[in-house]
Amino acid sequence: MPDQAQLLPGTLDLLILRAVSLGALHGYGILLRIQQISGGALLIEQGALYPGLFRLVRQGLLKPSWGTSENNRRAKFYELTVAGRKRLREETDTWNRLATAIASALGAQPEEV
Amino acid sequence: MSLFSSVRSLASTFFQRTRVNREMDDELRSHLQHRADDLQRAGISRAEAERRARLEFGGFERFKEEAREALGGRFIETLFQDFRFSLRSLRRTPGLTAFVVITLALGIGMVSGTFSMVDALIFRPYPVPHPSGIVTLVGTTHDSSFDDFSYREYLDLRDKTQSYDGVIANSEMKAVGFSSATANTPRVTGGMMVSGNYLHVLGVEPQLERGFRMEEDQVPGRDAVVVLGPEFWRREFGGDPLVVGRHVRLNGVDFTVIGVAPERFPGMYIFDHPDFYIPLAMAPVFSTDLQKNFFEDRDDRELRVSARLKPGATLQQAQNEIAVLAKNFESAYPKANHGRSAAVHTQFEMRTRADDSNWKFIVIFVGLALAVLLVACTNVAGLLLSRARARKREIAIRLSIGAGRFRLIRLLLTESLVLATLGGLGGVAIGYALVEWFQTFNQIVLMTDLPEVIPFQMDTRVLLATLSLSILSALICGLAPALQSTRVDLSNGIKSAEVDVPGPKRMWGRNVLVVAQVSISLMLLTAAFLMVRGFQHDLMNGTNFQKDHLLMTTFDPRLVQHNPAQTQQFYKLLTERLRDTPGVESVALTQNIPLGADHFDGVAFVPDGMELPHDRENFSCTMDTVDEGYFNTFAIPILRGRGFLESDTAETPRVAVVNEQFAKHYWPGQDAVGQHLHLDSREGTLVEIVGVAQAIKNQNATDFPMDFLYMPLAQHPLARMTLIVRTSDDPLQLVQPLKNVVRSLDPNLPMLDTRAYAEYYRNQAVEGPRIAMKIVGAMGLVGLLMAVAGLYGLIAYNVSRRTHEIGIRMALGAGRSEVLRLVMGKGLVLVGIGTALGLAMGFAVERLMNAMLFDAGGVDALAYAVVVPTLFVVTMLAAYIPARRASRIAPTEALRYE
Repeated sequence: MPDQAQLLPGTLDLLILRAVSLGALHGYGILLRIQQISGGALLIEQGALYPGLFRLVRQGLLKPSWGTSENNRRAKFYELTVAGRKRLREETDTWNRLATAIASALGAQPEEV
Repeated sequence: MSLFSSVRSLASTFFQRTRVNREMDDELRSHLQHRADDLQRAGISRAEAERRARLEFGGFERFKEEAREALGGRFIETLFQDFRFSLRSLRRTPGLTAFVVITLALGIGMVSGTFSMVDALIFRPYPVPHPSGIVTLVGTTHDSSFDDFSYREYLDLRDKTQSYDGVIANSEMKAVGFSSATANTPRVTGGMMVSGNYLHVLGVEPQLERGFRMEEDQVPGRDAVVVLGPEFWRREFGGDPLVVGRHVRLNGVDFTVIGVAPERFPGMYIFDHPDFYIPLAMAPVFSTDLQKNFFEDRDDRELRVSARLKPGATLQQAQNEIAVLAKNFESAYPKANHGRSAAVHTQFEMRTRADDSNWKFIVIFVGLALAVLLVACTNVAGLLLSRARARKREIAIRLSIGAGRFRLIRLLLTESLVLATLGGLGGVAIGYALVEWFQTFNQIVLMTDLPEVIPFQMDTRVLLATLSLSILSALICGLAPALQSTRVDLSNGIKSAEVDVPGPKRMWGRNVLVVAQVSISLMLLTAAFLMVRGFQHDLMNGTNFQKDHLLMTTFDPRLVQHNPAQTQQFYKLLTERLRDTPGVESVALTQNIPLGADHFDGVAFVPDGMELPHDRENFSCTMDTVDEGYFNTFAIPILRGRGFLESDTAETPRVAVVNEQFAKHYWPGQDAVGQHLHLDSREGTLVEIVGVAQAIKNQNATDFPMDFLYMPLAQHPLARMTLIVRTSDDPLQLVQPLKNVVRSLDPNLPMLDTRAYAEYYRNQAVEGPRIAMKIVGAMGLVGLLMAVAGLYGLIAYNVSRRTHEIGIRMALGAGRSEVLRLVMGKGLVLVGIGTALGLAMGFAVERLMNAMLFDAGGVDALAYAVVVPTLFVVTMLAAYIPARRASRIAPTEALRYE
């Protein structure tokens, strides 16, 4: 997959929150979901997911619970807490503003200056 | 938190952690299984799928580590891990570990031991509630900044100040004759006169009954009441609560016990713990100055005045107030208060007053101990550095498999923390031993009947200071090696032992340190050796008088209000009756005993018919007042003329005896007997010299012979005299007969410091200097140990740095002895320079000591013949051990990683 982009620092947390916001998922499921919703354009090292997950749990944004996966294996599922949902909203807004600003800055034409 | 519950909470954190660990493992494994399931569905075999899942996942342990980190609260667990790891790796090098621990323990122990003294002398607060509110009021004149006040002045200070919640006064601790019942012979105890509000203002509640009432301190001589100190109550009355209401006899007057001060209030002073407190109004019973009226004379300044600041009042307000008051005193009483002002001081200011040298001395001690600790830390850092280099490969491997640098630094710091903790424990033990040792000075230096104590102790504050010092030293010794050894170029680090070569500058500092340590320890050891030899020489040369079979005791008839005539009558009868007592060979009275704690008086005189240099009005020397039995009792030979006789009385012409030094000094080549002196000045009383006595050591066992003059007691009457009784038997057997004689003369008169003179002499004259020698010797040994540690660390570091080079040399045919020489050469140079410097300093110290203390003369060759080779052998051994290791390097081993 030659056209995969490296993740910007700090964006993994946002992606995890977004992935989980669509329904409770276990770690591997989150990874698949991110690839799916990003159209496979983002490169995530599999192991790197877990420090991020644990961090979000510690911040009280995710709630873990053990359950059984679709493969009939024991797995730990994560879902958003109320605080997590609020954070996702805020982060999404911030990201959008930032992305718009950068896009317009990069797209600015000489005569507009 | 109790020890038990804190252990339990620690344990539960620990078990909690293992559960979290297991869950984390399960979760990550579950991830791998899910991924393998997907891969298997794509048609790959299960085994290959699992292998690929693991590869895709990345560093399993690293992410686990990071995840644990993200989970937080990992501090304790990591600490435990690091701690166990440190213990394991330290156990692998037991010799080095022991050496480092001992070095640190010595440094820390010296600091904590000396800090206990600083704490006692400066920082420990008054043993009262809210001690910081207590301030001390002092008078200031142009000679003294810490003068006492008189009773009248105290009353004015108490009544005319507004800054305080109470103003109190106390006398110094006085020797008081005490007997628990009228029939008993009085003993000497220490009593303190205090104002009626003393305990109340300090906030000290008696543990038994009550303190003084204000009206008990109002009418002079009316209320004979006493409050006992806690230690005295336990010692003297076995802690009997029925003591209240009993009568005790103080200086021959009956007092009623009204209460006992609490255990936690041994007294306001550092050294003096009074046996009891009596109201100021009872001053006539305790005053030894019969010339002054305590209650009326404004210049009879015997009282220390303290006060408790009002909650809102500042020290500055109090200062201003008392300055104005002092001005008023000066204008109202110009005679007594001319040029006199006053000031208010905090406890800290009083304890660090400029005219007291004790605390300065001890602060210097702590400074020295801190310097030792710093050197110890530097040496330990050097040792750890050489150790860290030997572990370079281990560290490089750890870094390359994903250990964070911070994590490794923490691990290495934990290691030095373990070392410092062990060192700190050893330090506390050494500190305790030091404090115990200081306590023994109590019996040696303070040979007194008064309740004086050396209050050094290891309390919580000292222990806390020691603990923080250990941690600090762990950081100092551990940080540099940890930072340096984790800054590694990975591929090189694994490949070869040689990574960086420190610049010459850094090595230079360590070289200087080693040289300094060698030279200073040499100087100290030489000094200690010289002191031992010089002192032995002095003792062997003798003190020229008899010390065995003598009993001593001191009287002060002023304690029981004897006037001068009664006093002289008492001494006359005392010596007469004792001479008739069986077992008594001879009896003497002297103002001061030879080699005692008290200083001799000085006397000014003008030899009759001598031309004085125009810039001086008289000469002076030290003197003693003795009776006619003195020279005989101490067996001091009279070389010419005669000693004193009973026929020398107040009515006959004044006579004196001088020592041979005096005679030679003023009448060289002539007979001093028959010559005359004028006392004080050319016009002073004429005194005839009737005898020349052999010179003895008067003040110190290490004294040079000094000019000395004796006057007969009959012509120079004094109140406080020491009685010396010679017997053919054990002198202590004479104590009871002596007591009987004293009781028959005056049942209330106490005997002070009753002892066998030989024992007193040993403690006073021999043990004191011996302590000084031990201290210097111990410091020399500590210095030597430091030098050894420093040199060993330096050479070991060099060897580890040059392993590769040595390997090449050996591969090219260098023999073991050549390698040994190569490595030892550096140590030899350093020790050589250090020895040369140390010798120079040693000679200087020897000259100084010969000038000040001993008349040994010349160079004590034996001292150097012993000290220098010992030092040389020991230090070279320290260099030899790593050098030998270097010579055993197998070239194949050293070159393998190239």
